[in-house]
Amino acid sequence: MPGEPAKRQKREAYKSSVESEEQQAALPKKKFYRQRAHANPFSDHCLAYPKSPKDMDWASHYPAYAVQHDSAVRTEDESHDAAQVSSRRAISKPVEIADIGCGYGGLLFALAPRFPDTLMLGMEIRISVTEYVQEKVRALRTQNAATNGFQNVSCIRANTMKFLPNFFSKHQLSKIFLCFPDPHFKQRKHKARIVSYTLSSEYAYVLRPGGIVYTITDVEDLHRWMVEHLEKHPSFERIGEEEQEQDECVHIMRSETEEGKKVTRNGGQKFVACFRRVEDPPWP
Amino acid sequence: MALPYSCIEACRLSTNGADEWALIAASGTRLVVQSSSGAYTTWPPASGSAVGDTEAEGPPGKKIKLSDPSENTSNFSCLALTHDQKHIIAVTAEDKCIRVFRIDTEFQLQQLSQRCMTRRPCAIAMTSDDSTILCADKFGDVYSLPLLPGPEDEQIRSPSVEQSEAAGEKAFVPAASVLTVHSGRNRRVLEEQLKQAAKGPKKPKEGPTFKHDLLLGHVSMLTDIAYANVNGRSYIITADRDEHIRVSRGPPQAHIIEGFCYGHESFVSRLCLVGPDRLVSGGGDPDLFVWDWTNFELLGKLHLRDAVLRFLREQPDLAARVPEDANSFRIAVSGIWHVPSEANEILAACEGIPALFSFRIGISSTAEQCIVLTGNALDVTFIRQSQTGCTAVVSVDNVHVRVSTTERREAEATSRLEYFSYRPGGQWEQDAETGRAFERISQSGGHADKEASLMTSTTGSEKALGAILYGIENLRKRPDSDD
Repeated sequence: MPGEPAKRQKREAYKSSVESEEQQAALPKKKFYRQRAHANPFSDHCLAYPKSPKDMDWASHYPAYAVQHDSAVRTEDESHDAAQVSSRRAISKPVEIADIGCGYGGLLFALAPRFPDTLMLGMEIRISVTEYVQEKVRALRTQNAATNGFQNVSCIRANTMKFLPNFFSKHQLSKIFLCFPDPHFKQRKHKARIVSYTLSSEYAYVLRPGGIVYTITDVEDLHRWMVEHLEKHPSFERIGEEEQEQDECVHIMRSETEEGKKVTRNGGQKFVACFRRVEDPPWP
Repeated sequence: MALPYSCIEACRLSTNGADEWALIAASGTRLVVQSSSGAYTTWPPASGSAVGDTEAEGPPGKKIKLSDPSENTSNFSCLALTHDQKHIIAVTAEDKCIRVFRIDTEFQLQQLSQRCMTRRPCAIAMTSDDSTILCADKFGDVYSLPLLPGPEDEQIRSPSVEQSEAAGEKAFVPAASVLTVHSGRNRRVLEEQLKQAAKGPKKPKEGPTFKHDLLLGHVSMLTDIAYANVNGRSYIITADRDEHIRVSRGPPQAHIIEGFCYGHESFVSRLCLVGPDRLVSGGGDPDLFVWDWTNFELLGKLHLRDAVLRFLREQPDLAARVPEDANSFRIAVSGIWHVPSEANEILAACEGIPALFSFRIGISSTAEQCIVLTGNALDVTFIRQSQTGCTAVVSVDNVHVRVSTTERREAEATSRLEYFSYRPGGQWEQDAETGRAFERISQSGGHADKEASLMTSTTGSEKALGAILYGIENLRKRPDSDD
C-alpha cells in the first residue's frame, strides 16, 4: 500500500525520539499509535502471557508496590539472578480492577486518582494502542512523581477472551469494566463478542462475590445481548437503576472513556448495565 | 486397502453367566464388531452380505438390516462406551453427528439416534449414571445431551412449533444505527445489512431440534473432556489448545469454574483420570503432567519425549529420525490410558510413533517399558481377563510407514490390531492367544478386502486419511504475524 512506509517511518522516528531524548514527562501522541479498531480474538497472535497468575511479573508494572526482598540474598553473583527475578515479581497488593479492552486508557486515567490505593490494569489486544497507554502511564508517573500519582495503573497487551485466568487468580478482582466493546454485528461473529454466557463463567471466576461487571455501549442490540447473556448466568445479578446511578464508576465510564466522549460528540445514546457477582451456591 | 482402526473399544457381555468380550472398532465410515466367540458384524451392514449369505461361519442373525445405513459417508472420529456397556456412542466427523447404538446380545449394533451438532464434536464423555452425553466441540463449547432422547424431544421436533417460530420472526432491524460511532468498516457492514434486509428475510438456519444444553465454553478449540465424581461431587474437566485444563462443576452447576491446572506450555490434547483424584495430561509438551486436580496442584512430570527418543535410537530402522539436537524433537500426545487392573499404571502414545510407553504414576517419572508396535499407535482398549491381569488391544496404522504420518507403505501390514497382556508386577508381553481369538477383526487382508473396497470410495484421498488418523500435531501454534 502506498503511504505505508512513510507512516511506519514516521512512527519509528517518533518512537525512537521518545526513548532517546528522555522526554520522560511528555505525553505520547495518539496519532502515532492508531490501529484498526478490530482484532480477531480467535487467532493465536504472538502474545506474551504468564503460564499462571503466580508467574506474572507484576512488580515491573507497579514498581512502587514492589516488595523488596532482603538484599542480603543478592550479595553473590551466583544467587543474583534468582533473587532479582523473585524480587521483581512480588507486589504488596493484588490488582483489583481490570479494564478489558481499555483502548487508549481514558477510563483508567480517570479512575486512577479516584482510587489511589487500588491497583488497576488495562488489557488491550491491539499492540500499538497498548504501547500508547504504557507510554502515557510512564509520562504521567514522571509528571506526578512528587505525589506518587498513577503508580496504581498499568496496561498490558492481552487476549482476555482466551487468557484472563492466566493473569488473575480465583476471586482476585473487585471490578471488571467492559466499555464500548467491538459490537461484532454479524451473526456468525457473535462468539467473538466480549460477553457471552460461557465467557461469563470466567468473569465470575476472577471476580470475588460482590464484585461488579460494568458494561457500556452505544449499540442497543449489543446492550441487549450483554444483558441477556449476563442475566442468564446464575453467577450474576443485574444491579438496579438507582444503585447503578449512585456508583461514581458509572459516571466516569460514561464521561471519561474515549468512545464515551465520541458518542457524546455525535449525539448518540449510551447504554449502561452493571452486574453483581453473587456467591456460589453450595454443591448440590 | 483396509483402513486402520482409528478408534477401538472393548465391551463385556455376560450371557448365561459366562463372560464374553467384544471389540468394537471404527474404520473409516464403518464400525466393525467381533466377539471373542467369533461373531462378526459391521455397521452399516455390508450390503452384499445382506442379500446373499456368503460367509458360513457367522451367526444367522447378523444379516438383519436394522437401520438405514446407506447414508453414512462420514468417518468415525470418536467412540465412547457407556459404563453399563449397553450402549456405544460414536461421533462422525464430517457430518458432526453423535450416534448412539445399542449393543444387543449378539453384539449387533442398533442405531437408536443420530444427532447432528452445529459444530464438530472433538471429544465426548459420559456422566457416571450414563444418562447424559457431554460433547466438547471445536468451537470450545460443551453441550449435554440425554443418552436416549426423551418424549419432550418429539415435541420440539413437531412442525407446529417451527411454524409458529417462523411466523413470529420479526422484521429485520439493524443492530447499529447511524448514530453509533464506529469504523468505516462497521458502517459498510451496516449498509450491507440494510441491503440484505431489503431483499427479504433470510431462510432461518436449521439448528438442532433435539434437546441439547450449553454447559460451558472456552474461547479455544477443545481437545478433550473428562467427567469425574469425587465424594459425591461431580466435575467436568476440559482441555484446550491454549494450554488450559479447566475444572468446572458438573451439571447442573457447570457454569461454576472451580479452578485451572496451570503448567502446560503447549496445547493439551489428552486427559486421563487415574483413580478419583489423579489426572494425567499430555499434549505438545515433552512431558506428561500428573495432577492432584481437585487441588489444582502439579504433582510431577513423566518424561515421555525422553522415552520416545530412547525408543527411536534403539530401533535400527528409525534411529535416523532422531534429530541431532534432541531438544528440537517434538511429540504430540495422541493417547493416555489408565490400565484398568492396576492402580497407577498408564500407557501413553504419541502421534506417528510405533510404540506405547508405560509409566507408573507416583513411583517413577521415567517410562517403565516401551512396547514396540508394527505400526504407529492409534488407539488402545483393554480386555480384563481376570482380576489381576488384562490385555491391551492396540490399534496400529497398517497403511503408513512407521514414524510417518504421510508416507504410504509399499505393502500393507497384515494386522491392524496387536495384543499385549500385563502380568502383575511385571511386563507387557505379546498375547498371541487373545490375538487368535480376535483374528478376524485384526487382519487387514482376506475378509477385510471386501469391506475395504467400500471404504476407499468414500474416504478418498491420502490427505483425508491422514486427517482422520493424525490431527494432533496440527494443534501446535505456528509463530504468525497478525498483529
